[in-house]
Amino acid sequence: MSDELRIGPEDFEEVGLDPGLFEASSSRKDFLFDTAKITAAAAAAGPFFMAAKQAKAAETASLGGDPIATTAASAANKNFHGAGITRIAEAGLQALEPKNFSGPLWNKLTGGKVSVVEAPFPEIFSKTVAEHIAKSGAIDVIDTSPAWLPDFADRGVIMPIDQLVAKYKASATFADLHPLYRALSKYKGKTWGFFDDGDVWNLYYRKDIFANPKLRSAYKAKFKRDLAPPKSWAEFNQTAQFITDQMAPAVYGAGEGRALGNPGNQFYFFQTFRNFGGQFFDPKTMKAQINNAIGVKAMTSIMGELKASQPGIQKLDFVSSWVAWLQGKTAMIYAWPPTGRISENYAQRDKAFAFLPKSKVVGKVGYALMPGKNGEHAGSFALTISADSKNKEAAFLYALWATSPSISLQRVMLPYTLRDPYRISHYKSPAYRKLWPGAKDYLIALSDAANNAVLDMIMTGAADYANALDRAMTAVYAGKDPQSGLNDAAKEWDSITNKLGVDRQKAAYAQFLKLPGATAKNTIAARGQAVHIT
Amino acid sequence: MAVRAEPFGRGRLQAASSLADRHIRWLLVAPAILLILFLTIYPLGYSLWVNFVNYDFALPGHAWVGLDNFKTVWNDPIARNALWVTLGLSGACVAVELVLGFALALAMLRPFPGRRLLMTLFVVPLFISPIVVGTFFALILQRPFGPTDYLLGKLLGHAVTIDFTADRPWYFVSIVMADAWQWTPFMFVILLAGLSSISDQLYEAADLDGAKPRQAFLFVTLPLLAPIVLLAVTFRLIDSLKLFDLIYVLTRGGPGTDTYTLSYYLYQQGFQLFHLGQGTAGSWMFMVLITVIAAWLVRRLLKPVEA
Repeated sequence: MSDELRIGPEDFEEVGLDPGLFEASSSRKDFLFDTAKITAAAAAAGPFFMAAKQAKAAETASLGGDPIATTAASAANKNFHGAGITRIAEAGLQALEPKNFSGPLWNKLTGGKVSVVEAPFPEIFSKTVAEHIAKSGAIDVIDTSPAWLPDFADRGVIMPIDQLVAKYKASATFADLHPLYRALSKYKGKTWGFFDDGDVWNLYYRKDIFANPKLRSAYKAKFKRDLAPPKSWAEFNQTAQFITDQMAPAVYGAGEGRALGNPGNQFYFFQTFRNFGGQFFDPKTMKAQINNAIGVKAMTSIMGELKASQPGIQKLDFVSSWVAWLQGKTAMIYAWPPTGRISENYAQRDKAFAFLPKSKVVGKVGYALMPGKNGEHAGSFALTISADSKNKEAAFLYALWATSPSISLQRVMLPYTLRDPYRISHYKSPAYRKLWPGAKDYLIALSDAANNAVLDMIMTGAADYANALDRAMTAVYAGKDPQSGLNDAAKEWDSITNKLGVDRQKAAYAQFLKLPGATAKNTIAARGQAVHIT
Repeated sequence: MAVRAEPFGRGRLQAASSLADRHIRWLLVAPAILLILFLTIYPLGYSLWVNFVNYDFALPGHAWVGLDNFKTVWNDPIARNALWVTLGLSGACVAVELVLGFALALAMLRPFPGRRLLMTLFVVPLFISPIVVGTFFALILQRPFGPTDYLLGKLLGHAVTIDFTADRPWYFVSIVMADAWQWTPFMFVILLAGLSSISDQLYEAADLDGAKPRQAFLFVTLPLLAPIVLLAVTFRLIDSLKLFDLIYVLTRGGPGTDTYTLSYYLYQQGFQLFHLGQGTAGSWMFMVLITVIAAWLVRRLLKPVEA
C-alpha cells in the first residue's frame, strides 16, 4: 500500500515558497540548490501537513482549554523541557499523525522532539520485543494493540502507569472512554496505557442498491422478505450472493480482503464463531474449541462470503477491498471505521490518502450493526510506556496529553487519520458531526458497534494462536476441507497452550473471559452497560 | 678487562624490541581476531547455549531444557513439511535454471548480430533484489489485477481463473518461475565461460574421427564441462536451500503452511513469534543439513582435480 505524500505547487505556496519551483526544469546544480531551499523551508515551517484547524484547537486545549492536556503539557514543559521521545507506530497513515500532528505540537509546547519509528502492524510487536530483549531503551511510547498487552505486561516490556496517573491526578481521562475501551488498557488489576483507537467493525452498505426497485422485488420473490441490511450471517451470505448473481461483474455482494496477515483472517473467524456461540477454549481443560461444530459452521459461513465476493479476494489485502468499495464495485463491506470517512471523501481531501481513489459512493452509504450484531474489535491501539525507556515520565505525559479528550478529538478528526473515535465525547462532538452530512449517524453507529462488539483474543500467546488460525484459514480458502483445516489449527493451539503451560493459560483465559465482549453473551450491551448516543 | 657499562635502559629497550619483533605478527592480527571473536565466535557460542535453554519471549526465565528445543523442531509437522518443501523447491529451481542456463549458453556461444546486447539483457535479473523480483511476479501473477490470467485466456480462447499464488500446485510453479527468472543468468554466465574455455581443437579432432555433433556434445562438451556444471550447481543449491525473500513476498508461506521453506519457518519462529530457543535449535539443524549437502558437493567437485 502506498500512502506517501504527494507534493504539489499549492504546498510550496503554503510554506511561502515560489510554486514555480515545482514546475521549472532545472540543471543538476539548480536541482540541488532548490532541494536545499525546500528542505530548509519545510524545516522552518514546522508541521508541513498539519491540519491548521485541528492544530489550533489542540493548542488552545493544551493551554488551558482541557485540564488533562494542560496539566500534561505544562508539567512536561516545566520538568522535562526538551526531552526527546521515540514512539513506535504502525507504518503509513497511523505514523503520519505523530509525525505531522501530535509530534510537532508537543515539540512546540514542551520543546521535546517526538521521533517516530514506523513498522507494519505485526512488526510493532516483534520490533518492540526485539528492542526489549536487547534492552536498548530505544523506544519510549509504544502503539500497543490490546491483544499484545498481556504478553507485554507479563514479560516486563511495558510499565504500569497507575502511580503516574495518581501523581498527575489524571484518572478523569478514563471516565469519558466508551466502557468497552475503558476495560482494554487494564490487566491484572493495573493500568498499562491509554486507550487510543476505537477499532470495531461495522457493516457499510449501499443504500442506492438496497433501494433499487427491481432488485427489491426480485429479492422479495426469492426470499419472501424485504431487501435490507442483513441481520444474521445466513442472511448476509444469501443477500451477498443474490447481489453478485444479479449484478456481477459490475457489483459484487461482498468483498473483504483475506490475504494472509492482512488484516489477519483470525478476525473473521473470531467474529462469526463467537456470534454463533463459540468459545475459544474449554475453560476447564484449555482444549481448543475452534474445530467443534460451531467452528465448522463459522468457517463454512466464511466460505459462503468468499463465494459471493469478487474473484481473487482471498489474496487481496484490505486496501484493495476499500478500492473496490470506493469504486462502487461492492454492495456491502464490513470493516474498520475509516470506511465511513473514506466513503464520504472526507479522508481523500488530504494528500496522504492519495493511495485511495476518490469515492464514487458519496451520500450512498448506510451504516448498520454487523449481521448477528457482534462486530469484531479488531486490533486498535493503546499508548503504553516502555519499561526500558530512559524518559518514562516524559513519555507518560506525552501519551496522557495525546489521548486526553480534547487532543484525541482533534486527532480522530484529522482527514488523514486512521485513529477512530473511542470517547463518548467523540461520539457527541458537534465539530465531528459537522464533518459530512451523515457524520452524526456514523458516530452513533460506531458507539452501537462498540456496545455489541466481541473482542479479539487478549491473552498471553495471542499472537501465536492468531498466526496458527490465520494460516489454517488460508489453507481452507485454497481448497482444504473446513473441518480438516480447523483441526490443524486446533492441534497447533493445543501445542501452543501446552508449551506456555496449561495452568498459566487457563488463568489467562479466565482473565480474558472477564472482559466485556469476550463472548457474545458478555458484550457491553448484554451487560446492560450500553451507551446510547443520540 | 675493562667493562663498559651499558647506558641505563638500553638492554631493556633491546629486549622489548626483540620481543616486539618476535610477536609483532600477533599484535598486527589481534584487532582482526578480536573482531572475529566478537562478531562470530561469541554469537555462535551464545546461540549454542540458547539451543539448550528455554529462551522464549512468552516464557519467563532461561531454564536448562536439554534437547527439548531440538525435539520440538523435529516433531513439528510444519518444520518437517518445510524441509520437504525446501528440498523440493531447491531441486526444482536448480534443475530448471541448469537446463535453461545451459540452453542459453549454447545459443550464445557463437557470435551473431545483437549477441552482446542480448547477453547484457540476460544478466540484468542478477542485479535485481529478490524482494523486487518477488513483488514484480506477485503483480504479474496475482488475481484479479495481474495480467497473466487475461493473457492466458486470450491465448487459449477460454477464461482462465487460476490464482498463481494461492492455487495448488501453481504457487510452486510461480516460485520456481520467479527464482529461475532471476538465477538462470547465473548458470548461463558460468556455463558460457566453461563452454568458451573448451578448445576448438578438440572438436576438430572429434570431427576428424567422424564424430557427429551429438557425439561431440556427449563425449567432448559434457565431460569437460562437468566440473563447471558441478560448481554452478553447488553455488546455486546452497543458495536456493536458503530461499526466503521470494516466499516472503510472493506467498508468505501460504496457503496454510504449504510454501514454508526452512528459512521462512525459522524466521517466523525466531523473529515473529520469538521462540528463540526453538528457532536457534532449528537453525543449527539447518546448518548441519546445508553443511552435509555442501560437503558432499564440494567433495564431488574436487574429485577430478585429485584424480
